[in-house]
Amino acid sequence: MLLSSLVFLPILFALIMVVWPNKTTLRPLALGLSLIQFALSLTIFWKFDPSSSALQLVEKYPWIERFGVNYYLGIDGISLWLVILTTFLLPIIIVGSWQAIEDRVKGFHAALFVLQTAMLGTFLAIDAIFFYIFWELSLVPMYFMIGIWGGSRRIYATIKFFIYTMVGSVLMLVAIIYMMFLTQEAFGTMSASLIDFYRLDIPFIAGQFFSLQTLLFFAFALAFAIKVPVWPFHTWLPDAHVEAPTPGSVILAGVMLKMGTYGLMRWTIPLFPEAAEYWAWLFLLVAVVGIVYGAVVAMVQPDIKKLVAYSSVSHMGYIVLGLFAFNETGMTGGLYQMLNHGISTGALFLLVGMIYERTHSREISKYGGLAGVLPFFTIAFFIVTLSSIAVPLTNGFVGEFLILLGTFQANPGFAYVAVSGVVLGAVYMLWMFKRVFFGPKGELVKDESHPLHDLSPREFAVLIPMGVMIFWMGLFPNHFFHWSNASIKHLVESRSNYILTVKDTNTKTQSAALVEGE
Amino acid sequence: MNIQIGLPDILLISPMIALFVASLIPITIKVLRGNVEQAPFATLIQGLGGILAATVLLMMVAGSGSTAFADALVLDGLTKWMGFVALAGATGAVLLMYDNPSTNGDQFSELMFLTLSSVIGMLILVSAVDLLVVFIGLETMSLALYLMIAMSHEQKLSKEAALKYFILGSFASAIFLYGVAFLFGTVGSTYIPDIIASTGDLISSSRLFVFGITLVIIGFCFKVSIAPFHAWTPDVYQGAPTPHTAYMSTAIKAVSFAAFLRFISTKSLVGSENLLDFLQWLAVLTMIVGNVAAILQNNFKRMLAFSSVAHSGYLMVGVITTGISDNMSFAASGVIFYLAAYTMMTLGAFAIIALIEKDENSSVKVEDLAGYAKKRPLMAFCLSLFLLSLAGVPPLVGFFGKFYLFAAAIGEGLLWLAVWGVLNSVISVYYYLRPIVVMYMKEGEEDEAPRGFGATKTTILVSAILVVFLGLISGPIFEAVEKALS
Repeated sequence: MLLSSLVFLPILFALIMVVWPNKTTLRPLALGLSLIQFALSLTIFWKFDPSSSALQLVEKYPWIERFGVNYYLGIDGISLWLVILTTFLLPIIIVGSWQAIEDRVKGFHAALFVLQTAMLGTFLAIDAIFFYIFWELSLVPMYFMIGIWGGSRRIYATIKFFIYTMVGSVLMLVAIIYMMFLTQEAFGTMSASLIDFYRLDIPFIAGQFFSLQTLLFFAFALAFAIKVPVWPFHTWLPDAHVEAPTPGSVILAGVMLKMGTYGLMRWTIPLFPEAAEYWAWLFLLVAVVGIVYGAVVAMVQPDIKKLVAYSSVSHMGYIVLGLFAFNETGMTGGLYQMLNHGISTGALFLLVGMIYERTHSREISKYGGLAGVLPFFTIAFFIVTLSSIAVPLTNGFVGEFLILLGTFQANPGFAYVAVSGVVLGAVYMLWMFKRVFFGPKGELVKDESHPLHDLSPREFAVLIPMGVMIFWMGLFPNHFFHWSNASIKHLVESRSNYILTVKDTNTKTQSAALVEGE
Repeated sequence: MNIQIGLPDILLISPMIALFVASLIPITIKVLRGNVEQAPFATLIQGLGGILAATVLLMMVAGSGSTAFADALVLDGLTKWMGFVALAGATGAVLLMYDNPSTNGDQFSELMFLTLSSVIGMLILVSAVDLLVVFIGLETMSLALYLMIAMSHEQKLSKEAALKYFILGSFASAIFLYGVAFLFGTVGSTYIPDIIASTGDLISSSRLFVFGITLVIIGFCFKVSIAPFHAWTPDVYQGAPTPHTAYMSTAIKAVSFAAFLRFISTKSLVGSENLLDFLQWLAVLTMIVGNVAAILQNNFKRMLAFSSVAHSGYLMVGVITTGISDNMSFAASGVIFYLAAYTMMTLGAFAIIALIEKDENSSVKVEDLAGYAKKRPLMAFCLSLFLLSLAGVPPLVGFFGKFYLFAAAIGEGLLWLAVWGVLNSVISVYYYLRPIVVMYMKEGEEDEAPRGFGATKTTILVSAILVVFLGLISGPIFEAVEKALS
């Protein structure tokens, strides 16, 4: 029941938000509910067995039996941290938007909770149709979030976001249905369960694009690549990020982009191993191009938020690079970088939002000399910048190092180019940092009629958990690897013939009871 | 010819008789009161009572597969479920008529009589297995409808719409009849099982037979607005009073597709490659024409009219699948579920338009929705649900409709049609999102709250609840329909 309540409680919370009569107590209530949700997600650690690569805490009920569609939730080492990331970020977002969102507060928090359901469902669903429903559902609240509370070009951005993402995913739906018929041919009964999909043996013809496995591979990969977004499909991201309100940007960068890389890791790579292997060069190539392109474009942005958005393109390139290295180091780095990016880019968007609330401008050229006026803000921004450019001791270093190491082992050629992204990342972030925080005071900073105030206690409360995570993840990565190692190892080792077993939680408790009895 | 009508025949058509009796009550009362309208609410109750009685009777008599009137009518699973869809659509439309300024007031009892008469035509249509009886059903339904549209209190567009619909509808009927004549000439019968029996031989040997089949199919294509035979749809949908538009796009469309399904089960598509290709291209063309044209529309009703054309294209995929499938009930249940889903969401969307319209002459533009979310949050939310469901966004019922429809197509190897279908639903997202954008993201001026409209609002809320929950419980429904069909 744990996973079900985790996924569907937010829907109930959203309904509470809609009917809650009192506006002043709405935010504390939302915060409390999201903290309950976070606490609930932490209880997973209690029941989760990190030594097993099997699917755990499984809940399976028949839903549309005619098509073998099940209500099917399960968790393993790959999805565990992404779930925690989602529940961890939500309270932070609610506190972070305490003053940024003034209009239609009820609707905003309801959308936030619906979005949480969609994201958690995407990470936890083990049935293809069930997964697809959450995957598509996540578009709707995000669409409203950008469209209602966004900036001046919000309508263009939100429609682009919706349509772009949907183009990819409808082809995935066709592929899913096709695979359901393949399970019918192979096993006699139709099934949409991922476990059965893994057992399929789909014929692969190397070098031929119009062959079954290749087409299915690309149908899935396109959906995820658009979501990540991988380089040529990235154009929706800067628009969406820039126009989205701060909480929308945080959740978009923090969690929604991870849905794409998670999809590659959970669905595309193990489902179509031969095709993934054969076409890996393509993904490595676009990943590397994305790393360099994102960094170079970020460098010349006049708008801080747009700069961070392009840095996302660059960072997401690393994750794809790590995943398609197909070794344990690269995959671990990829998964770790998903969490890092959620923390550090999320924090960057929060910081950009804080300064925007004060000055209502994000133009780098109007700033300068902020360090003298806002010392605490500067320190916070600096820490997050270090994390973003992967300085040792911060979380970003661990992820990028592992990814590059894994890529060197697998495809050194791509790693040579990708390393340049580390340098470029330092260039655009530090250059921006210099222009905003040092030098002569800019027009917004020296404006006497609007003195700037340093971080408020609320803002400290938002940033401290992020800062703690940055150093915790940078100093003690094994605390985190411990929970995901078994799953990643299993994925890498048995990639060409991947099978996910289901761990029966009841037998575990029974055997534990036996041991205690003896 | 010896025609014998027994009591079983009468019992089997009891739903139609119930409707007929109910349709006579309001006008009889009007005549007895010396041409003075009774309270519209009484008329509404009498009409709804008739529909309810028909629904209950249909539930009792249909589904068994028994036949009436020398096998001219059959009451099987298709009759039952399509009958329900049609009656649900009619219920919604009647509720809208009660509130709408262009249909209520004067002559409401006549309107009720015509509406129920056309529902009788629909029930004939869904149960007909003889092409001539199909024709009778089609005409009963359509003739009543022409009058209903022309009776609107709106002065200009509705008259034009009625005339256009009448002329093009007659044209389609003529084509249909012409085709039936060819089939009679080659097969020697207009009875669908007889045609099924001879299809295998004639489809490859007799050109006249293929000619007849094609003409009949084109006749149906007119009725369900498949491009390029859709030209009447936008004008008629826009010009007709909104309740009638809702009626046409739900109930009328559903029963026309039901008859189409019965005809396509002659397996004529299996023998004739050309015909199959022809229909597939029509389906693709219809989706594209409907969706692309809908993007260009500013008038909300006209936009939904083109969207209705596009949905005919998706449904056509299901009809083709039924036509070539060995497991017909599987594909046909997909079509039926889609029609049920489509009825819910379209009815809701038109009901909201009816709510926004100020008087009988007003037309609702997409921009008129500006600020609607602030003024009427609940109604705006419901409209968003309907539009997102039409676009096929899960977990709403429209997604499940598409899922069943395209799953059947993919199962029959019509992969490319399914790909066209899903890509088109992405195109459709663009115009379905536009009203939502305008409602939620643009500011509009305040106006006074509309008076009454209780029946319309009830329709909207019921449809919204169904749109949300029908999809989630669609598994058992789909199985029940499939079981009833096989």
